[in-house]
Amino acid sequence: MSENLPLAGDLGGQGLFIVEAVTTVERPEKNEPLGVLFWLCVGWIGLNIFGAIFANILPLQNPLFEDYNAISVGPGLHHLFGTDDLGRDIFARVVYGSRVSIAVGVGAMIIGFGIGTPLGMLAAYRRGRFDTIVTTLMYVLLAFPAIIATIAVLSFWTPRALTKIIIVIGLASVPLVYRVIRTATLNVATKDYIVAAKVQGATDRRILLKELLPNIAPIAVSFLLIGVATVITLEGALAFLGLSVNPPTPSWGNMINEARTVLAQNPWLVIFPSLALCLFLLCLNFIGDRLRTHFDVTEIKL
Amino acid sequence: MTDTHKLLVVENLATTFATNAGPVPAVGGVSFDLGENETLGIVGESGSGKTVLSRTIMGLQPRTNVTVTGSALVNGFEVVGASEKAKRQIWGTEVAMVFQDPMTSLNPVMRIGKQIDEALRVRLGMNRSEAKTRAIELLELVGIPSPAERYLAYPGQLSGGMRQRVVIATALACTPKLLLADEPTTGLDVTIQAQILNLLDELKDRFKMSVILVTHDLGVVATRTSRIIVMYAGRIVEIGTTREVFQHHRMPYTRALLESSPKVSNRSHTRLTTIPGRPPNLANLTKGCSFAPRCGYATDRCHEERPELRAAVEPGHFFACWNPLDNEQGPAQ
Repeated sequence: MSENLPLAGDLGGQGLFIVEAVTTVERPEKNEPLGVLFWLCVGWIGLNIFGAIFANILPLQNPLFEDYNAISVGPGLHHLFGTDDLGRDIFARVVYGSRVSIAVGVGAMIIGFGIGTPLGMLAAYRRGRFDTIVTTLMYVLLAFPAIIATIAVLSFWTPRALTKIIIVIGLASVPLVYRVIRTATLNVATKDYIVAAKVQGATDRRILLKELLPNIAPIAVSFLLIGVATVITLEGALAFLGLSVNPPTPSWGNMINEARTVLAQNPWLVIFPSLALCLFLLCLNFIGDRLRTHFDVTEIKL
Repeated sequence: MTDTHKLLVVENLATTFATNAGPVPAVGGVSFDLGENETLGIVGESGSGKTVLSRTIMGLQPRTNVTVTGSALVNGFEVVGASEKAKRQIWGTEVAMVFQDPMTSLNPVMRIGKQIDEALRVRLGMNRSEAKTRAIELLELVGIPSPAERYLAYPGQLSGGMRQRVVIATALACTPKLLLADEPTTGLDVTIQAQILNLLDELKDRFKMSVILVTHDLGVVATRTSRIIVMYAGRIVEIGTTREVFQHHRMPYTRALLESSPKVSNRSHTRLTTIPGRPPNLANLTKGCSFAPRCGYATDRCHEERPELRAAVEPGHFFACWNPLDNEQGPAQ
């Protein structure tokens, strides 16, 4: 039988045969689809953002109007999510509340990435003294708990305003962003194609923007989404401690905080904003995670 | 040979890395030159300094922890000590490099056409359509079928051999006078290796350029180079015309290298000949010949005194050895 196998060879007369396996490796041209759940999550985030932007135009009740004829009513037709102990419509407040959360999430991440990305990329590309100094500084900042730092700053920086919260949280997120971007850039910067681009005469600016940035973009985007979720949680925690936007402006965090006192009598007050917060974060995390695996170009796929 | 214009003159070039284990002289004082339209082979084991040497000639070092001394004149331009900005003037147009692994030397998220375009537009100031036309020409020149379509392909859509052709096309974009090919075929299938080497050979004549072929494979340099440099522990141990080095090598290390390349004429299942021992730790080199600990001919003198390059019978043939092999011994078996 062995005579018929062209690739079989006798190994030292021990009766062992080596047959070179001819396997066809499936080479997926495209990555697997992102899935229904992914698009559901995208839809939900889209809906939230839509609600936040157009809350004024949408047929919602005034989130600040105190209807003394309908205090602490349960979910129903007239008040979809019910009302709180001041007679304010919970549904309207949840929709308006998303404004603060989304604004803080997006705003803080713009600041965080705006500072963290260029610093991280430069440090990883240049190395040397610049890298040492910036990295040490960032690690010192990282060692300090972000929540404590933000609480400390926001306690003294009064009167409170949304922009101040965004700035403080944004700055607190810089070291985290820096660390991720620097590591991602380090991985790419040592690749031969960066050296190849250099010896073709590409300037540092060109290498940073055209060669390095597109290669770290997938990691940056997925981290951005997870970062937005983390920052929204942080805002929720600050609001719960009464350090976010001043009442009566609703935010998911301060709604939960206010409802805490009447939790036993009217649990809806806690459930709806919590649910909104949870779902939003869950979707963001899921999208970020899914994108990360989707763009993860491993050796096997190549 | 001495009459022709020297494209590359390397003199006492040394590259030393500062490490925690002390200074590591990866290249320890190397001198040679290269004429126009000549192919030079640099051979040696892994860690003999071939890659560092070629990168030093290119002017590519890490930004920190490295000192380069000596001189490397590329068409009159002193690479050693030149600023990055100054080197950018010779990169691409005077000297270009083909990297070892085509899997990592192309940007995976950029269309291959664009990667060739870049050099043309940045260095030669071509506009978009000129650059595209030229890039497609180059792709055709390096033997890529239907180049206009491949122009839009991403590296991931090409095979290893195709990618190496693209890498060569990018290196040739600005018609360099000197091409440094650092193990250009190591990452490729054996069947593709010959194709790529033949392509390099053909392009060398077409572009009237000189090529330095860095490799550990003597079979690669045997038929394609006019001269060979044998490196060991960061130094040149033998240099000469290809014929001389193959037939009348004087340095035992060269013989050991030749003996350890497998021959087709060998019976099947012949054990591969190896060089006993390992390349020396460059961080603490002995004062004698670096190869002495592994050399069968080593005497006390070899361990005490480092042999300098000295002339053999044939002009242009130099070797560094106290106990050279007999010239009449002929090729190693």
